[in-house]
Amino acid sequence: MHAASLLWKPSVVRVGLPRLHREAGEKRDFLPSFVAALDAAGSEEIIVEKGYGSGMGIDESSYTAASSRLAWGDLDDCLTQDAVMQVRCLDEDHFEQLGAGSILLSMLHYTTRPERVRRLAELDIRAISMDGLIDDGGRRLVENLAAVAGNGVEAAFVELAKTHPAFDDPGRPPIRVTVLGSGAVGSHAVRAASRYGDQQLRDALVAKGVKGVEVVVVDYDLTSHEAYMQSVLSATDLLVDATQRLDSTVHVIPNRWLAGMPGHAVVLDLSADPYDFSVTPAIVKGIEGLPQGSLDQFVFYPDDPAYEELDPRISTEHRRVALSCYSWPGRKPRECMEVYGAQLEPFLEVLLNKPPDVWDSASPSLYERALARAELSRWLGVGSA
Amino acid sequence: MTLGLPLMGQEPEDRRDFLPSLAHHVANLGFGVAVETGLGARMGYSDRDYLNASERVRIVDRVEAFAQDVVLILRSPDDRFELMRPGATLVSMLHWPTRVQRYRRLKGLGIEAVSLDLIVDDNRRRLVENMEAVAWNGLEAGFEALAHAYPGFRTHDRDPIRVTIMGAGMVGKHAVEAATKYGSLDRARTLRDYPGVEVTVLGRNLTANEWYLRDRLRVTDLLVDAAYRSDASRPLVLNEWIDDLPEHAVICDLSVDPYLLDASPPTVRGIEGIPQGSLEQYVFFPDDPNWRATLPHGVPALSRRTTVSCYSWPGIHPRACMHRYEEQLLPLLEKLFETEGAGRLRADGGHFERALYGASTGAWVALSDPTKVAKTAAEVAHSG
Repeated sequence: MHAASLLWKPSVVRVGLPRLHREAGEKRDFLPSFVAALDAAGSEEIIVEKGYGSGMGIDESSYTAASSRLAWGDLDDCLTQDAVMQVRCLDEDHFEQLGAGSILLSMLHYTTRPERVRRLAELDIRAISMDGLIDDGGRRLVENLAAVAGNGVEAAFVELAKTHPAFDDPGRPPIRVTVLGSGAVGSHAVRAASRYGDQQLRDALVAKGVKGVEVVVVDYDLTSHEAYMQSVLSATDLLVDATQRLDSTVHVIPNRWLAGMPGHAVVLDLSADPYDFSVTPAIVKGIEGLPQGSLDQFVFYPDDPAYEELDPRISTEHRRVALSCYSWPGRKPRECMEVYGAQLEPFLEVLLNKPPDVWDSASPSLYERALARAELSRWLGVGSA
Repeated sequence: MTLGLPLMGQEPEDRRDFLPSLAHHVANLGFGVAVETGLGARMGYSDRDYLNASERVRIVDRVEAFAQDVVLILRSPDDRFELMRPGATLVSMLHWPTRVQRYRRLKGLGIEAVSLDLIVDDNRRRLVENMEAVAWNGLEAGFEALAHAYPGFRTHDRDPIRVTIMGAGMVGKHAVEAATKYGSLDRARTLRDYPGVEVTVLGRNLTANEWYLRDRLRVTDLLVDAAYRSDASRPLVLNEWIDDLPEHAVICDLSVDPYLLDASPPTVRGIEGIPQGSLEQYVFFPDDPNWRATLPHGVPALSRRTTVSCYSWPGIHPRACMHRYEEQLLPLLEKLFETEGAGRLRADGGHFERALYGASTGAWVALSDPTKVAKTAAEVAHSG
């Protein structure tokens, strides 16, 4: 016998999946398996924007095969459904097309986007921030930090293999990687770096008898010690910024400290903190002098024009090959969306079958509790439940 | 459908039992919960705490706790399988790939079961695990021992504490963060004005390099074994190499591999000659009279440093451990009740149903066939 509490009257019957209308390098859309999960969770109709998945080489038939309830439409069609789901936030110009009371599930970053929050609240959109879906211990339930670290480290080793004078020489000492920060991204970076960011490359070097990778991790209580850090940097082949700074107005590594690094060294920015001189004090990157990259360009050689485009208050005198990308997971869109799809699937049963007003932050279901916490009106402290 | 929560009781020092909050959540789903009297007592809970969780909770004796539709118990109740009803579901850490006889007994008794350690998502990530606690609790004990052994630990002019972690897998990943925080956020706050901790992580191809590794040991204050070895018949660190460590150094054993010298091939510990600890004793000083008692005859153990080792690091902080498991288990239990037991799980169900099915007796029928057992176990070891 099933408990009555497990049975809910469907509330969300139509789901819209619009494409990401962003830069050319942004190819992420939910996969057909996610469409099948929406179907299984009770969605009555799934409206998918024409061309969905094409950036990842997935044709329409794969989506059509995933659900008999799928219908193709244009962007406007997708935006006027009971729930709209997109991995990155819609262009804010489209918010008004969403109906009052409709659900928007996306990476919304409430804490750093006050204007976005204001508009969503004003329009009475039941926003759910994917990055705010956390368990009782504060751990994110929808994240791909392994890909942040893995994709970044993999790209950095590709560059290091070009710059290091003896990268595949069995006589060289171990490659020395220094990771700044030991949080979730830093821990994944350690794991990736110990394997050259690429299992095949690792296997090939092991087969040649080349020594491996020594990964040194330092946290905030050492990064402020200049003499110590200068000593570490002088022996670092790959420097990785995986810090989560409490004060993002202060650099962890001033540009002048890079002067002591070997000429072949590579610097990798995983933190994706932007520069912002529109606020006082200004927001700056953890490592001073690195350009801000994107999915279209994430490698910057010392003579790249991007350095000259940085605000003149940023010192860029000392340069090494640098890598930066605001969205490292987007480098491998299909793998990324497999992860997000699998992480989101357990939420769908609640999301589609129980009205947001009755989501309970004390529910026995971890996923209902997480949805309740990530729903905008409750986050703002004005929710009805 | 009803849930039974029996006491564990294999090792008296293991205080872990499922918490009143789990009984509360399951009862709120509409299911009866039968709690064995005395559950949680070693963590300070009374029968009344469980009764207060819900009107659907009853306090029962052991026989009745095992006579429910679903029985949840963290460690396998090997000597109590017969108390369960045929067709009922046992949910526990059952480790079938290395405990084939356990699987066959359950099948013989007609008990459906779900092995908690085998519940993985589509990306092979375990859904019920507490590796974070393995790393943090082990490092907390390691730094506690180091604070005693290292005279310069609380001096402002010392070099950074140097921690070397062997292994960059899941446990090693958590160990990195724990090590940079001295194994404890409280300790990290207390020591924030001191030079911090430098953590060096070594993967397989460096731990296999004797010259490099012994050089590394000479500058290591805390050596952490978090390695998952491809060949468990050979140690990473021979006993005599322990002498390369500074006198004050501490060894922290997170891998807790056993000594199985009679197996083929044999299994030895990653660091040769260190003792195997328990929840009763997990700190061993070099002159500890129990040191040799935990080692099989013939294992060299003359070279020693203070060592922390425990077969169950999460059990050091039982409440936190069980809260973590509860959080991971509740959505799975909900699905298990919805399908009315493990016997009706479908391989093509939703996220949780697929994960539960993959860990159920139905998905492991190959273990009933002796000719397929070795291959299956090897596949699991490889995927892990």
